[in-house]
Amino acid sequence: MTERGTNKDIQGTILEIIRMSTEDGPGLRTTVFFKGCSLGCSWCHNPESISFKPQIQWIGTSCIGCGICVSTCPEKALEKSEKGIIINRSLCNGCGLCAEECPSTAMELLGKKWDVHDLACELVKDRAYFEQSGGGVTLSGGEAALQNNFCITLLKELKDRGIQTALDTCGQVSQEVLASLLPYVDILLYDLKEIETEKHKKFTGAGNEKILANAIFAANYKKTHPSLKALWIRTPVIPGATDTEENIRGIGDFISANLQGAVERWELCAFNNLCRDKYKRLGIDWQFADTELVEKSVMEELSLVAKSTVTPSIVCWSGSARLEQRKNDKLTGKTENSGKSIP
Amino acid sequence: MSTVSASEHAIKEPRGLSARISWLRDYYFQGTKRAWNNEYTSWTTGTPWDIIYNELTFYIVPETYTLLNTLGASYLQAARPVVLHPYFWQWPQVERRAWFVKEVIVNHVPQEMLPGDLLAGARFNIQTSMCFTKEESQEWIRQVKGKNGARAKMKWFHDHGYGNAGATSGHLVPGYERLLKIGWKGVYAELLSLFNALDSKDRLGAKGAQLKAMITASTMARDLALKYKELCIDLSAREKDNLRKDELSRMAQNLSKVPWEPATTFWEAVQALWINHMLVLTDENYPGAGVSFGRFDQYLWPYYQRSINDGMDREFAKEILKCFWVHSNTAYDAMIRNGNQGITAGFGQLITLSGLGADGKDMTNDLTYVILEVIDEMSPILEPKPNVRLHRNSPEELYDKVVEMIESSQGAPFLLNFDERSMAGMMLEAKKADLTHLINKDNVHEYAPVGCLENTMVGNDRSGTVDNNLNLLKAVELALTGGKDLLPFTDPMTGKTQSPKQDGPPTGDAATFKTWEEFWEAYVRQTQYIIQKCVNLYEASESIRARFFPTPYLSCMVRGCAQKGQDVTQGGAEISFTTLEAVTYATTVDSLLAIKYLIFDKNACTIEELVAALKANWQGYEVLQATAKNRAPKYGRDDDDADALARQVMNLWCEETWRHSTKSTGRRYRPGMLSWNYWAGDGFIMAASADGRAKGQFLSNAICPSNGADIKGPTANANSVGKVLGGKAKDAQGDWEDYLNELPNGASHTITFNPSILRDPVHKDKFKAFLRGYTINGGTALQINMLDPGMLKDAQDHPENYRHLLVRITGYNAYFTTVGRELQNEVIERISHNKF
Repeated sequence: MTERGTNKDIQGTILEIIRMSTEDGPGLRTTVFFKGCSLGCSWCHNPESISFKPQIQWIGTSCIGCGICVSTCPEKALEKSEKGIIINRSLCNGCGLCAEECPSTAMELLGKKWDVHDLACELVKDRAYFEQSGGGVTLSGGEAALQNNFCITLLKELKDRGIQTALDTCGQVSQEVLASLLPYVDILLYDLKEIETEKHKKFTGAGNEKILANAIFAANYKKTHPSLKALWIRTPVIPGATDTEENIRGIGDFISANLQGAVERWELCAFNNLCRDKYKRLGIDWQFADTELVEKSVMEELSLVAKSTVTPSIVCWSGSARLEQRKNDKLTGKTENSGKSIP
Repeated sequence: MSTVSASEHAIKEPRGLSARISWLRDYYFQGTKRAWNNEYTSWTTGTPWDIIYNELTFYIVPETYTLLNTLGASYLQAARPVVLHPYFWQWPQVERRAWFVKEVIVNHVPQEMLPGDLLAGARFNIQTSMCFTKEESQEWIRQVKGKNGARAKMKWFHDHGYGNAGATSGHLVPGYERLLKIGWKGVYAELLSLFNALDSKDRLGAKGAQLKAMITASTMARDLALKYKELCIDLSAREKDNLRKDELSRMAQNLSKVPWEPATTFWEAVQALWINHMLVLTDENYPGAGVSFGRFDQYLWPYYQRSINDGMDREFAKEILKCFWVHSNTAYDAMIRNGNQGITAGFGQLITLSGLGADGKDMTNDLTYVILEVIDEMSPILEPKPNVRLHRNSPEELYDKVVEMIESSQGAPFLLNFDERSMAGMMLEAKKADLTHLINKDNVHEYAPVGCLENTMVGNDRSGTVDNNLNLLKAVELALTGGKDLLPFTDPMTGKTQSPKQDGPPTGDAATFKTWEEFWEAYVRQTQYIIQKCVNLYEASESIRARFFPTPYLSCMVRGCAQKGQDVTQGGAEISFTTLEAVTYATTVDSLLAIKYLIFDKNACTIEELVAALKANWQGYEVLQATAKNRAPKYGRDDDDADALARQVMNLWCEETWRHSTKSTGRRYRPGMLSWNYWAGDGFIMAASADGRAKGQFLSNAICPSNGADIKGPTANANSVGKVLGGKAKDAQGDWEDYLNELPNGASHTITFNPSILRDPVHKDKFKAFLRGYTINGGTALQINMLDPGMLKDAQDHPENYRHLLVRITGYNAYFTTVGRELQNEVIERISHNKF
């Protein structure tokens, strides 16, 4: 497949490629999830994307119980028990031999090496759908920008092929790296999670100084570079963490003061618990395992707070709110809300 | 399989119906409780050797095999004798048949009218005598039921997992449009002049007999309409309600004119169309499977416009159409006592809506929307089945309506046909069969699908769109065994087991094959063999139909028949292909991919081990089965390497198909992909397959990837389909612009979506973009289903069958089977109530 010799040696660690994604930017998209992140958000719904290292997971519903993985593992890190395969993570070095030998794909290696040109070829397959929808390719993660050389080469090739690109970033990257990527990005999806740096550090493992500075840099970049067509801010609404009025107001004030005019959309993303089993599979205790979804009324209130701080039309919220008990209440706020507030 | 009760989720309900239509619709759904119905009545010449019931037309319906004798005998026992014309037995059989059918429907079957109905033409389902002499009867019995007769051949073919074939009724678009324009009067005049132009020898021969039979048939609709006219006059005289009285007298006026004279108004046109159509079902003794209306919103448009200009209310036009919808559904009454309103499967009286016109122009008009509204307001209702033709210039408004209806019906209440790809296939068949004078770039847009999605031209085309259904997978089985069945066959009736005999060509002991190419070579030879075998089987019923079962009334509406003096069943149509439908395509491709992967690429097992595993239905070979299922490549993932083998399978099979023609009727074979319900039923007949499928599990459906194989989502799935159909021509020299399509008959493709894709305007736009993308990358036709709670509950119970099932709850995608039970339940709850 590789035609471009110069790109041959550049490899990236990719977790997953999702085709026909409807959630990672405008239109229909192919989203590439990079492995490895510069933050470690306690609520992360892609916990397998945080570590750079390849990891093994076992999917019980797929397993036929043949035990081939156990006998294959050179590190003796796997054990067959009544509950299924137990992975001793202190012994597992992520070599992936068990996943290679598993007949049922119950053992899965998270994180695969991709040659940049091969990846680009894979990503352009839905060009027809991109063109009909105003969509394209989104680099997400993890934090894609951490694999910056790979990202630049990939983005360049995608742009050469006329593909619209989006970068979904947490902002915790050096400004130099961000500056090197932005020329090849059409849409920047940028997370602002928590306005108080101490809390930010507590929730994500890092303060927010760099993130806020990069946000200002990106907004200014957009004002002077028409190649960057849109900047979307995303704020996760996490119960007991980021779901406070002060936080939303603080982020709103920050946007208003520093990013004014550059932000096309500010999306409040409701906490998601569908990843609960991912934590189980990775053998991680998750502090949000028993947290319920956010109530619709909370999302609506926070949206009002958000709207009071910035141009109201840029605010919307997304995600699943807690199911209401009343059966006759057929529509969620989602249906009424999003779409209308998106310019 | 677990199911959910109806109350757990919203089911579409009809809306906006007038009292008249509500009553008619509700009455229809009372089924067997109705006082009136359209159940078959049967009619005999009264001879002791009479035969009623053309069983050949059911050879493609395996469910009926055990009933063939019973049905034939029952119709005879229940048959009422008809006093015959004094010269009846002096006529050739085709003339006898034409006279008999007309006599029965005009003078014996009662004319009736349901309250409030705006269209005449109620009872039409009849089973009529074949009108045989004693000698003809004996010959028919010998050819059909004899030791090597058509039925025995068909049974063997089906029992051994090859599939089925039979000369089947319906499945065409008669020349309805032309008939509205010239009336039966015009057809009658044309037939007379053609008869008069025959020389005296021909007049006394087969051509003369055919034309005389058609002349008789061409007055059937006129005479029946006049009877209904009398009924309307009579009802009107007795009617107290002035409005209804007026309606009935206007109906009488309509019937005094159409369908004999050309139609002028919309009401006349719909009335004429209904009678002309229902009499096809009468003539064929067959309740409508695939007798399709063609471009309904196009040819009715001038009448609609004229009437609207003359002051017809748009709602009244819908009222007339809604009556038409109720009438179409009464086709199912034929075997109403089967239960479920007699509905065993959609009969596919298909209407085509929208689509391209000349010069790339979109042909959507107000009538298109009127009809879509009718469907929306009447749904759920089965007939007539709509097929909406989309193309790259389809208007936004049409996409909006389509999406709105998909949303409200939890799945599309219609099929979608895609013009560019479909037309490329029609152009290909023209090229292959030297028919470019009949199908070319100037008229190919006039094509219309029949039945479900089987593309044909209109008014001059009978292409046997469902007549041959071959399990391609059989060739893989024979290649593995060197030409024998993998499993012994046990006759369920006698309990006797026959050990496998050499049947296919001896392609050698597969265990000695050193390379994949050797195996492929064996597969090629076995494929050639099974196609030849299917062609031979079809010939048996095709030749019997051509000899014994003329349909002179239908022949009047198919251009070519009158000109050639040949019945449509004898290949009289100008365009007269028969179609070979490949069944089990993806299972076949995936089995070949698995054999290549397991044996030649990975050395995971030997051929002997694989054959032993398949014989054992994978029992004791679970690791090998899991490897075949999960590790071997699959078609449907937009994987260029796997799809390349899929292309090879497609090419081979298409090339072989084009090589054949029927002997008795000279109909060329053309390829298509439709598997009706065979992919489910034949899964219990065919042995385990190398793709990891066990015996008893479903085979793949039409051109769809195997169940659970499309793990890359709808775009990858659609791309694979478009690719194996031929994709785009590299040099832009495709068969229609740059499009290629190996399957002129079309390819049935179904994709199931998560309903959250339609949850708000932004996502609806994304879904519309998917459909627009499909016109570029996808196949010829698409059925859109929406994930329902029942399927998710089944996935909880049988996760192994649903590993591809991606649920997309805003902002997050997860494979349903990999999330815990509790969260699964929540997803089900959300989908049940459209809460995303």
